[in-house]
Amino acid sequence: MPTFTYDGHEIPFEQGESIIAAAARAGHEIPHYCWHPGLSAPANCRMCLVEILPKAGTRAVMLDIVELDQSTGKYCNIQKPKLQPACQMSAAEGIEVKGDSSEHVVEARKGVQEFLLLNHPVDCPICDQSGECKLQDYWLDHGQFQKRMRDEPVHKPKAVSFGPTIVYDAERCVMCTRCIRFMDEVAKDPVLEMRERGNLNEVMVAPGKQLEGHYTFMTEHVCPVGALTTKDFRFKARVWFLRSAKSVCQGCATGCNTHLDFDPRFNRAYRYRPRDNMAVNKYWMCDDGMLTYKRAQDGRIIEPRVEGGVTTLPKALATVAALLSGVPKESVAFVLSAQHSLEDNWVLRQIAMIQFGSNSFYFTAAPDGYADNILLHKDKNSNTRGVRDLVSDAKPLGSLQADIRAGRVKHVIALGGDTPNGAKDAAELQGAKIIVVAAHESALTQAASVVLPATSWAEQSGIYVNAKGMQQKAEKALEPQGESKPAWQHLADVARALGFEPSWSKLKHIRVSLEADTPSTANATDVAMPAAIARGV
Amino acid sequence: MAKTPMAVTFPKKTPAPVKTVTVSGPARDFSTQSYIPEVIRGVSVSMQHFFSNWKDMLRGERPDPVTQRLDRGITTISYPEQKRPYPERFRGLHRLTVRDNGDPRCVACLCCSTACPAQCIYIEAGEYPEGDPRRGHERFPVKFVIDELRCIFCGYCVEACPCDAIRMDTGVHPVPYDSRDQFIYKKDLLMSFADRSGDRRDHNPRHEAGDPTHPGLDREHKH
Repeated sequence: MPTFTYDGHEIPFEQGESIIAAAARAGHEIPHYCWHPGLSAPANCRMCLVEILPKAGTRAVMLDIVELDQSTGKYCNIQKPKLQPACQMSAAEGIEVKGDSSEHVVEARKGVQEFLLLNHPVDCPICDQSGECKLQDYWLDHGQFQKRMRDEPVHKPKAVSFGPTIVYDAERCVMCTRCIRFMDEVAKDPVLEMRERGNLNEVMVAPGKQLEGHYTFMTEHVCPVGALTTKDFRFKARVWFLRSAKSVCQGCATGCNTHLDFDPRFNRAYRYRPRDNMAVNKYWMCDDGMLTYKRAQDGRIIEPRVEGGVTTLPKALATVAALLSGVPKESVAFVLSAQHSLEDNWVLRQIAMIQFGSNSFYFTAAPDGYADNILLHKDKNSNTRGVRDLVSDAKPLGSLQADIRAGRVKHVIALGGDTPNGAKDAAELQGAKIIVVAAHESALTQAASVVLPATSWAEQSGIYVNAKGMQQKAEKALEPQGESKPAWQHLADVARALGFEPSWSKLKHIRVSLEADTPSTANATDVAMPAAIARGV
Repeated sequence: MAKTPMAVTFPKKTPAPVKTVTVSGPARDFSTQSYIPEVIRGVSVSMQHFFSNWKDMLRGERPDPVTQRLDRGITTISYPEQKRPYPERFRGLHRLTVRDNGDPRCVACLCCSTACPAQCIYIEAGEYPEGDPRRGHERFPVKFVIDELRCIFCGYCVEACPCDAIRMDTGVHPVPYDSRDQFIYKKDLLMSFADRSGDRRDHNPRHEAGDPTHPGLDREHKH
């Protein structure tokens, strides 16, 4: 691999790669606003200027400039090297690039930072970006000056609604055009544009249009400053209180890698951020997925219920034992869930196969939805492939309903999850006694005799298999709410209540068994370094 | 060269025989167990001292401690009625400053609760309602609660506040109450406090976006 040097470090690069991308991959961040690894490089923020030394024996391109000599108070002619934007300059074999080690670069960064902050309102106290803002970070790293302009700054429109999800503040904007380029290049919906010039420059939505569609949250995500904020997260939390867990989006079968940001003090999830994974979602997520963090709180079941009445866990388990004792094993059906983790489904399958000797598996899955060729998959379940890997011939909910009607199934042990027809499915399940371990309300829990409260994906670590067959692990973020426990623990309790001692008592036991059991490629994660550095994650 | 440990043996001492003394306790008869004679004896000793002291004082042989200190120039004050003047920068009870129109100056940035080492400040941010000129530009505290029992009066919240919205210049020191919930100071109570001159506003007025005094130089206003 060819290399160049950046501040004395050997940086390998691929042919055609820019200096900033190669340096970022090697772990050296060159400060930047407009460059993003997933977008084109317009080189308009001028923050990534670097000095490239001339080849031996050639002269550097020098600029004649006039500088004020502070000691004499007179202007004098001097020469300075012409600096190059690292985001647009392709790396070349053997070149010597200077960043922090060049006084001209340090001066240029400070100057750029001062220009960007010239008309900035400095309303950090009311800005949602505060705490993860590049203007704040780079002022600390490369600025540290006092404001010299004593005039009233230029005032521009604030709190402009760009659409149903995004609010724009022109005063905070640094005109990096990341949002415009995202809509053009990734979302393929070029509704954003710039107008005016100089200090009146601002981003606007095309007349008669709105910033809407399936990828609007990403405009806020790529915004390096607080110019774009989402209406969903607006004023909800301060980012420095939030902790993140590496999670996997539950919105569809794409399985986008995410950071789930939560406040441990209130045990509450506040937002998703995409986690870079070139093999799955690159740097992006869709709006629908970004909002699925809400399911960590909304529609949850946190107390055990028997026949609709709230009860305690021991009583619920006693009811389960009473319901299932002495029933013929072939009349018990098992319903896997495409919305539960691989471990939960595996435990249910083990109980069915070992304890009941059953092969009568069904599965629930949410109905198909909108799909596109960017990220959104038509399958709106996070783990359909995982269920298929475990039990390839699991039957859909429709055939369970048919079997209940025909009287072949009298008892059901199910994992919770959305059903194809929503609440309408509940009426068709009335003929059987249903025991369901569920995190969210659904048709199954409506029809159930016993409901055991499971933790959501955010409260337990779990493996989900995406449509490409990649096993991806979601970390635990929140503490279990109410009485909830991981579904596999509830299932193990059910097994014990029926007089069966399972051989697994920890998640790692299950995972060891799973490795031998599932054909999916294990943990295919490929995290892209440049973007991780680009966003300081 | 490694040192070898010295081989020293100490002769074991034979322990001295334990000396025991048998102490007889008080007799366990009825008069001792009931305590009554002992109590009477104790009270009578106290009364003896009381009367003998009194007698000494009346004779003038023993000075009265209070009058003695009064003669020397007393330094004690009758506290709840009399109060010492507090210094100018005394950190008293918190107050939330108000704008000219009576709204809280606070923008719910949570800097104070971040800086607070006792974690006694709880804030919930909110947005001004539809139609308000500040909608979108500004946030305000829907809830602002200080637990004065937890507060250690360090003043970090005042230092951290970028808007001069929280001050400790009331000159009032925390009042004792008889139940814990009375120490939970909410937004309206905190906004009702004034500084020592009786002013409830902040000392650092600013033109806010949305205020009529705001310069508002933008293209819409014919820059």
